[in-house]
Amino acid sequence: MTPRPLTAGRYVLAILLWLAAWIVVSAGAVLLGAENVWAWDSWDKVRDVLGLRLYAVLAASVVGAALALTGLALQALLRNPLADPFVLGVSGGASLGVILASIWLTALAAPLFGFLGALATIAVVYAVAQRRGRLEPYTLLLSGVIVNAFYAAAIMLTTALAGPERRGDIAYWMMGSITTFDPQWKVVGIVGGLAVAAAAFFAFLAKGFNLVAVGEDTAGALGVPVERLRVATFVTASLVTGASVALVGPIGFVGLISPHLLRMALGPDHRRLVPASFFFGAILLVVADLATRLMEGISGQTPPVGVLTAMAGGPFFIYLLRKRWRRSAGMC
Amino acid sequence: MAQVGGNVLAAATAAGPYLEVRDVEFAYPGGPRVLQGLSLAVERGRLACLLGPNGSGKSTLLRILVGLLAPSKGEVRLAGVRLADYPRGALARRVAYVPQETLAAVGFTVLETVLMGRSPHTGALGFESARDWYTAREALRQTDAEALSDRSLEELSGGERQRVIIARALAQEPDVMLLDEPTSFLDIRHQHAIYGLLRRLVKERELTVVCVSHDLNLAAAYADDLVLVAHGRVAAAGKPDEVIRPEVLSPVYETPVEVRRDEATGRPYLLPRPPG
Amino acid sequence: MRYRVAHVMMDLALAVLVAGCGESAPPAAPAAGPLRILSLTPNITEILFAMGLGDKVVGRSTYCTYPPEAAALPAVGDTLKINLERVIALRPTIAFVITKRPDTARTLDGMGIRTVTLRSDKMEELLASIDVIGRETLSPGAARALADRLRADLDAVRRRVAGLARPKVLFAFPMTVGSPQMMVAGRGTFVDELLKVAGGENAYPDAADWPTVTPPKVIAMAPQVVIVNPVGEDAAPDRLEAIRRAWAHWTSVPAVADGRVVILTEPYLTIPGPRVGLAAERLADVIHPEAARPAAPAERGDAAKAGWQAHAAVYDCRLQIVDFMRARRFRARRGSGGLSRHFACPAAPAAGSNRRFRGGLAYNPQFEDRP
Repeated sequence: MTPRPLTAGRYVLAILLWLAAWIVVSAGAVLLGAENVWAWDSWDKVRDVLGLRLYAVLAASVVGAALALTGLALQALLRNPLADPFVLGVSGGASLGVILASIWLTALAAPLFGFLGALATIAVVYAVAQRRGRLEPYTLLLSGVIVNAFYAAAIMLTTALAGPERRGDIAYWMMGSITTFDPQWKVVGIVGGLAVAAAAFFAFLAKGFNLVAVGEDTAGALGVPVERLRVATFVTASLVTGASVALVGPIGFVGLISPHLLRMALGPDHRRLVPASFFFGAILLVVADLATRLMEGISGQTPPVGVLTAMAGGPFFIYLLRKRWRRSAGMC
Repeated sequence: MAQVGGNVLAAATAAGPYLEVRDVEFAYPGGPRVLQGLSLAVERGRLACLLGPNGSGKSTLLRILVGLLAPSKGEVRLAGVRLADYPRGALARRVAYVPQETLAAVGFTVLETVLMGRSPHTGALGFESARDWYTAREALRQTDAEALSDRSLEELSGGERQRVIIARALAQEPDVMLLDEPTSFLDIRHQHAIYGLLRRLVKERELTVVCVSHDLNLAAAYADDLVLVAHGRVAAAGKPDEVIRPEVLSPVYETPVEVRRDEATGRPYLLPRPPG
Repeated sequence: MRYRVAHVMMDLALAVLVAGCGESAPPAAPAAGPLRILSLTPNITEILFAMGLGDKVVGRSTYCTYPPEAAALPAVGDTLKINLERVIALRPTIAFVITKRPDTARTLDGMGIRTVTLRSDKMEELLASIDVIGRETLSPGAARALADRLRADLDAVRRRVAGLARPKVLFAFPMTVGSPQMMVAGRGTFVDELLKVAGGENAYPDAADWPTVTPPKVIAMAPQVVIVNPVGEDAAPDRLEAIRRAWAHWTSVPAVADGRVVILTEPYLTIPGPRVGLAAERLADVIHPEAARPAAPAERGDAAKAGWQAHAAVYDCRLQIVDFMRARRFRARRGSGGLSRHFACPAAPAAGSNRRFRGGLAYNPQFEDRP
């Protein structure tokens, strides 16, 4: 890591490079797949399948970007490298909203109710975690754990009471799947808009993240409004996470490993990490989704993306951690 | 002549005190009152040291001066303007704070840490200019920490880290520096180097420095003004000669002391005489 | 849907049963004394009632809801989980079950109840099972009559569509919410046979039970007719809307381009039982709408009833449309023309068949096609 000033020029260049990388990976993911479309005769069919893949790529991109960004932000907010977008319970709220909506209300409005569930959770966690008008990392983590436990129980209850048809649906949805029979372009647009807005917002907060990581007093003395930063980060991260979960269900590990991988490559400076997380998260999930689609060609079944990210993410993470331990003495 | 009680330092200049504390009271939420009606004033371009026994409220006062804590009663004014009226960024550009001990295992290098001191000047997205780098390097040079530039902060010793944190404060190019026991882990050479640096900055740049110190002799040797804080109030304030006196210090520290004069510098120094 | 679950989810390991009759009970003579029948599978219940043995049935599984008289009987659970206390309380003398799991049969056997395991994966197996039921319940005549009627029904449909070109038909269950996969009928399944009878050819090319397919696979198969069969909760109006909306995306599929994606909510389409004739007719309506239902099938021996049946089919279909539209009344009104296409209502029979049709109807449970 040779030290170089972070100038506007370098920043824009980095963003352009990441954008190019994402375009290349996405193009590959659209052109590759389990079916050899290039051998098909009818252009209509090819167009339909490519449209499907394009949807999957875009959905994976926005969700991956959203999750990676919120993972980074929450790790900064909570000063805890094990934080991920679901640690504050928002995914549980969104999941429950979607599940209840698809059972008792209308399947068409499920994403909306997922988002509403996320909003309600934000309010609840905020109310529970407030101590004398301050939002401390420790109490936030605790509230998140409690809320998560509650939602897990609520989802289990709903599943038990639902009919056998719905149980399979719920179980499948909870694994997190991107490719779907019913593309929701509008929701993808909304999540994408939220992710971009969050990226821009966090880019402005990045300086504050760096300082808060060093110390609360230091940050305050250097002009960072710590309390406002915490609330703003918490609300933004939760909104974005809620929207993603409402779209594709809870997909784990992207929000956890993406910041770590980037930190190992780029260092702890959030000014660099924020734009990198946005694109890297997108690329990561696009690749994971492509892998699931390619697995269909091998085994005939597409596993949900969430399963793949969890199964691949875990061992990879352990491998990275051990490499790091060997390099630096005992630092996490 | 030292004065006991909440009195302002004598010889306020016509311009008025630069940093002024008026009847400040403070208690941590749910706790007893730490500061009870404390007042003091520091002129521009002076090095003032806060002394006092443990728990007297020195660090708390410092944090109030930085703007991290808000007093429950009374007010603090910087250059005549209330601290609360300063926009946060403007305050950060004028006031630098060196906290007592910061250790967070984050992975920033020394240079990155010092560059953080430039953040009040770097704009919304935090882009750095060549001048930022120059200032940071200069600050490291002044604290004799330039050789450590690329090392990770966690690898340094306590003393090296302290110099880096001081460099960070210097990089802020502040008008006021507030330091909380800046030399507690440093060896003699570096202790005097730091205080010498502070004196120089005070003289050359008209910096106003308030530092909390445990080392009475070091404070006596370098400070322009001493403020003795006890039980949340100012017990004595004035030049070193006025404060470093047995009749002033012994009741506050509850231990007998003896005061001598250093012929070379003309400054007083004290020898504690523990009972028995 | 649950029947599908019972079929698909269960073990495909070779059963103890020998192919053919599929009896698991020792070949002893049927028990003497009054018959008390326990039926653990929906289609067996229907068969029993169609054979006129409804009053001898004392217990059913939770999923046996047709005919309505059966729903009034006590339920003892299903093949995966039986409430043995209730079974004992009902004192059945004979139990019929369709399952590939041997432990259910063994349990009931162990309780001293003669348990007969049947199969109905194919038409032949269904007819053979009817025979077995006839033998076991000492009513071979009723069994023969039912089997003959079924054969006749199917032949009627075959005649109806004879000579017509066979389009590629895909029979699917609605896709899981959020999943890219849905179950379709593979070749060799019961539904596949019905499709053949109804004049279609299964678009899914391989022999498979109920495989799951992804959208690209459907696009590659290019079916000309798609039949989606949501039942129960899946048939709620908003879900039907979601299904239509999902399918509308794949315009390269001929069925979508031609507007031949049909949603049928009748549950009997996948139940191999006495209503296979109705199922085949319904499928033929959809696959070959140009071939109208015969107004007067001679075998029925009742021209009036036949015409009344044809009207019933049209009436039923239009009721479905009205229901559907009523449920969507908050949306902008659309003409029902397009919806008719989706529901593939059969053409109304010629005028003069039966004017007394309008108004209330008393359905003979054997011909009823709405549960």
